[in-house]
Amino acid sequence: MTMSSQSNKVVVIGGGIQGCATAFFLAKRGQNVTLIEKDRIGRHASGVNAGGVRRLGRDILEIPLSLAAMDIWQNLYQEIGEYAEDFHPCFYLKVAVDEAGRELGLMRAANLREAGFKHEVWVEDDVIQTRLPHLSTPTHGGLIVEGDGWATPWRIVQGFANAAKKNGAKIIEGCYVNSLTQSQGLWQIQTPKGLYEAETVVNCAGAWAADIARSADDYIFPLESFAPMLVVTDRRPKILPAVMGVLSHTLSLKQLETGQFVIGGGVRAKANHSINQSDVNLPKLSSSIRLAAKLFPEIANAHVIRCWSGIEGYMPDELPIIGRGRQNGLFHGFGFSAHGFQLGPGVGEALADLVMGQQPRISLEAFRPDRFVN
Amino acid sequence: MLLNNHYDLAVIGAGPAGMAAAIEASRNNMKVLVLDDQPAAGGQVYRQIDRNYHKNEELFFLGEDYWLGKKLVDDFKHSSAEFFPESRVWQITLDKHVFFSRKGRAYQVQANFILISTGATERPMPIPGWTLPGVMSVGGAQTLLKSNNSGADGAVFAGSGPLFYLTIWQYLNAGFKVGAVIDTAPGRLSWSHYLWALPALLQLNLLLKGLRWKSHIRKNTKYFSEVRSVSISGQSAAKSVSFIDKYGEKKKLNTSHVFLHQGVVPNVNLTMATGLKHYWCPRQLCWHPETNIYGESSLEGIFVAGDGSGIAGASAAILAGKTAAKQIVQYSRKPSIFITWLSKLKRYKHVAARPFLDNLFRPPKEWRVPLEDETIVCRCEALKKTDISSAISLGVTGPNQLKSFCRAGMGRCQGRMCGLTIQQMIADNNNLPEKDIGYFRLRPPIRPLTLGELASLADDNVLAK
Repeated sequence: MTMSSQSNKVVVIGGGIQGCATAFFLAKRGQNVTLIEKDRIGRHASGVNAGGVRRLGRDILEIPLSLAAMDIWQNLYQEIGEYAEDFHPCFYLKVAVDEAGRELGLMRAANLREAGFKHEVWVEDDVIQTRLPHLSTPTHGGLIVEGDGWATPWRIVQGFANAAKKNGAKIIEGCYVNSLTQSQGLWQIQTPKGLYEAETVVNCAGAWAADIARSADDYIFPLESFAPMLVVTDRRPKILPAVMGVLSHTLSLKQLETGQFVIGGGVRAKANHSINQSDVNLPKLSSSIRLAAKLFPEIANAHVIRCWSGIEGYMPDELPIIGRGRQNGLFHGFGFSAHGFQLGPGVGEALADLVMGQQPRISLEAFRPDRFVN
Repeated sequence: MLLNNHYDLAVIGAGPAGMAAAIEASRNNMKVLVLDDQPAAGGQVYRQIDRNYHKNEELFFLGEDYWLGKKLVDDFKHSSAEFFPESRVWQITLDKHVFFSRKGRAYQVQANFILISTGATERPMPIPGWTLPGVMSVGGAQTLLKSNNSGADGAVFAGSGPLFYLTIWQYLNAGFKVGAVIDTAPGRLSWSHYLWALPALLQLNLLLKGLRWKSHIRKNTKYFSEVRSVSISGQSAAKSVSFIDKYGEKKKLNTSHVFLHQGVVPNVNLTMATGLKHYWCPRQLCWHPETNIYGESSLEGIFVAGDGSGIAGASAAILAGKTAAKQIVQYSRKPSIFITWLSKLKRYKHVAARPFLDNLFRPPKEWRVPLEDETIVCRCEALKKTDISSAISLGVTGPNQLKSFCRAGMGRCQGRMCGLTIQQMIADNNNLPEKDIGYFRLRPPIRPLTLGELASLADDNVLAK
């Protein structure tokens, strides 16, 4: 491409799930939209996360968004076609392994009931034992959500990117944003591939989003980068039909259709987003794995095949930033703090609403970009 | 047995480089820990030498170069270095913690310096039928010979390279019948071969030895040179090998054992996973960690010595291990230019013939990327060449991106068997040099590790018996 400028109605920065879903919903509604991604689609946290599609355990402020997103997940085929086959709904269970966990879970169940949410409920050990016959220990009960599950993350992100393209969106990979400035009411996006102009910019740049906002002279966001880690094992006999967590512990555990176990749960290694570097530190996972092996002793025999991590942006309150920026025509959707994958389709829809001047179907009050401004 | 938590130097790999470094460092009163996968010290080259020594009459066929290792292993055993065999190192962190498993449990130690001397690994030779039972690498055949004095009569050897000839020579000396030798080295030498032959004369002994092996093999086996299009067939196991000989004639030999070899490459799994910088060596067609003449890598305090930093053979590895240890002992003092040049000169005696050998046995592309679409490339995920090339044609720019298209390199071996082939395939498709394609991003654990072992990682460091 030459250095001549390109005029666009909307430019989305960032090719993760948030950016791709946003570009998809905008394109589907006939907007002229271009998505620019500095590496490639789904390269970072969106493509390499655990793929948990869960409403379970969400911050109560996040639940309406999560439920709205789930509506889209449940009809994903209509939106992204065959890629939707990579979403596997089952059930999500977070068990208590001690009294402290039980108390926490019961309290949460009561809070949810009071707030009128019915998707996540408390079940006692007898139910858990029937649902998970291979569990080796009694539990102290747990929280369950039917229909939550997991997806192959990079396939879903690719699915939204392809669907966006089909609806006319342009997707440009390997295109790093050097600067984002405003001139005569138009955003000027400087990249090595040339200058892009846009009336509206949506910043879905994940761990890199605060840098984009700084360049645009928008709010200063207290965003930090970490690298949540995961391990995958070799293929083992099928014993786990659900995605599992443990109350008041960091563990997420599931078994893929291939029989491979994937274990994670938010244990973070160091990341340096400015040089695209994320560490893995296997030993940090050892307590999560001890716990998993207590629940399912067979897991101890599985071989670790790979450990990996992705670069993710974390907010101090672990709630995302979604909404209008300080500058005119700039919107943000980032800071998902390692639990944004399931929210993605809901965020994309909400951001598309905002960009088009419509009222999103859920309140975004809790995610206000200016909430850290003193 | 109690393992200390802290060492001056941790050496990974008790081959020639690792042992030499451990001897030198412990002589200088350093507290040294040596870890190795195998049950005994020696590395691949001096495998089981200690156990084999008392029966050296019976095992004379391993050759004088093998028995030379005995003194090194003895010196190592008598040094003050602590040695833990059967220890699989699966991660090194930047703060120089070494994590390893031993007999079902995981341990960690910290060291001021780390020397990685994990040696070489054979370059896979992906030809039709290479995954059939009965087919293995020449290195594997040599391992069986050294560790159990076992072999297979009537086996066919296909490939080329120094280890190829050495192993066949040992096989013949051991009294096994060799079915045939299918030499894939290209016959015609170019001017550059002759040019590199000049410095190689400094290692005349080595060259003469090679020629002796080769003439012995030509005399005592059914020998085919300049062979092309080798393939192995059989339903559930290898039954026969077919190839085209140098006169263009199709040949078929019946055999149930085929041993393949296309040279060795540095085993870079640990150095890459630890985050050391690597560069592409076009002459050896593989990645090398960046080091200076003392073996110091791009990460402070982490050294690499031996074939793991570039194929140079056992004598160069011993020198490299010793040189690295000397530098580690007096780390705070910067060596003078004179010492640096002296070290380079000393090393040259051991590597003078290397460019000649590298050129002579440089595997043509036919042996690195299969010609046939149906040949398996990624064994773990059972992906054929065609599966991989169609994924690449979707616009893949590197091996890591390829993973999400077809899972190539995502199995147990972490790309050990397919990495270089895939890199070459992407380079060819995108019309770029191999060095620009890069390699799989390797991540711990780089050795087999069970979740049970990982869960056992504790800080008491009491070694299980």
